[in-house]
Amino acid sequence: MDPKTAALIAAGFCMGVGAIGPGLAIGNLVGKAVESIARQPEAGGQINTAMFIGIAFAEAISLYALVVAFLLIFVA
Amino acid sequence: MEVLEHFYLEIIIPIHIGPVDISITNLTLSMFAGVGLFLILLLVISSKPRIIPRRRQVIAELLLNFIKRGMCYNMIGTGEGDKWVPFVSAVFIFILANNLIGLVPGAYTPTSNPVFTLTMALIVFFTVHITNFKKNGFKGYFKTYAPSSVPKWMLVIVVPIEVISAIAKPFSLFIRLMANMLAGHTIIYVILGLIIYFKTYFIAIAAVPFAVVMMMLELFISAIQAYVFAILTALYIGEVVNPRH
Repeated sequence: MDPKTAALIAAGFCMGVGAIGPGLAIGNLVGKAVESIARQPEAGGQINTAMFIGIAFAEAISLYALVVAFLLIFVA
Repeated sequence: MEVLEHFYLEIIIPIHIGPVDISITNLTLSMFAGVGLFLILLLVISSKPRIIPRRRQVIAELLLNFIKRGMCYNMIGTGEGDKWVPFVSAVFIFILANNLIGLVPGAYTPTSNPVFTLTMALIVFFTVHITNFKKNGFKGYFKTYAPSSVPKWMLVIVVPIEVISAIAKPFSLFIRLMANMLAGHTIIYVILGLIIYFKTYFIAIAAVPFAVVMMMLELFISAIQAYVFAILTALYIGEVVNPRH
C-alpha cells in the first residue's frame, strides 16, 4: 500500500470514528433539552440557548476530525 | 475537480511595502464588502433615533440589547459588563458579517481562512491576558495558574493543566470557527458539484433543493458560530475580571 492510499483510508476512518462521539453527544443534549422543555415549557427560551451553545461545542469535536481528515488528504 | 478550489486566495491588486505583502486578495475584497454592507445596514437602521422607536430602530436596539444583556451582563456581570460591550459587540458583528458574506455565491468566506480566525483568536487571547495583568497585578496573574484553594502538593499537577488550558483556549476558538465555515461551504459545493461530476442535469432535481436546505442551515450556523465566539470571549473576560476566591 503506498502512502497516499493509506492516508485516504485513514482520512475516512478519522471522519467516521470522529463523528461517533459528537453524534451521541448531540443526541443526548437535544433529548435532555426536549425533556426539560416538556417539564417546564416557560423556560424554553433559556434552555434553547444553552442547548445551541452545547451543540456548537459538541459539533466542534467532529470538525476537528474533519480538519485532520483534510490534512491527511491534501498534505500527507 | 478540486473540492477546496473556492478557498484558494487570488491576488487581485498586488501591493508590497518592503518585505510586507499587503496585497488585495479575494479575501480582503469579500471582507470589505461584508463589513461595509453591515456597517451601512447598521447606520441606516439606527439613524435619527427617537425615544419611541420606529420599526427599524427596534432591530438595532434588539441587537444591542442581545449583546449587552445576553452576553456581557450574563457572563461578565452588570458592573464590569458595561465596559466590555464595545469589544464584545465588535467581535460579534465583525464575525457575523464575515460569516454571512461567505454565503453570497462567488464571494470568498473570510472566516474559513485559518489566518483570519487565528488573528481573531489571538486578539481575544492577548486582550484577556493583558486585562488579567492590569486588573489583578503580577501576583494575581500567577494566582490564576496556581489557585490558593488547592493543596500545595497538588500544584505539580494543577499548574501544567492550567497552562495547557490557557494555551488551548485560543486554539479551540480558531479551529472551531474555521472548521465550521469550511465544512458547511464545502458540503454545499460538493452537492452542487455532483451535477458536473455525473454530467447530467437529473441530479439537479435532488441536489438543488438539498443545497437550498443546507444553505438555510448554514445561515443559522453562521449566526450560532458568531454567537459562540462572542460569548466565549465574554466568558474568558468574565473569568478574569471576577477572579476565583
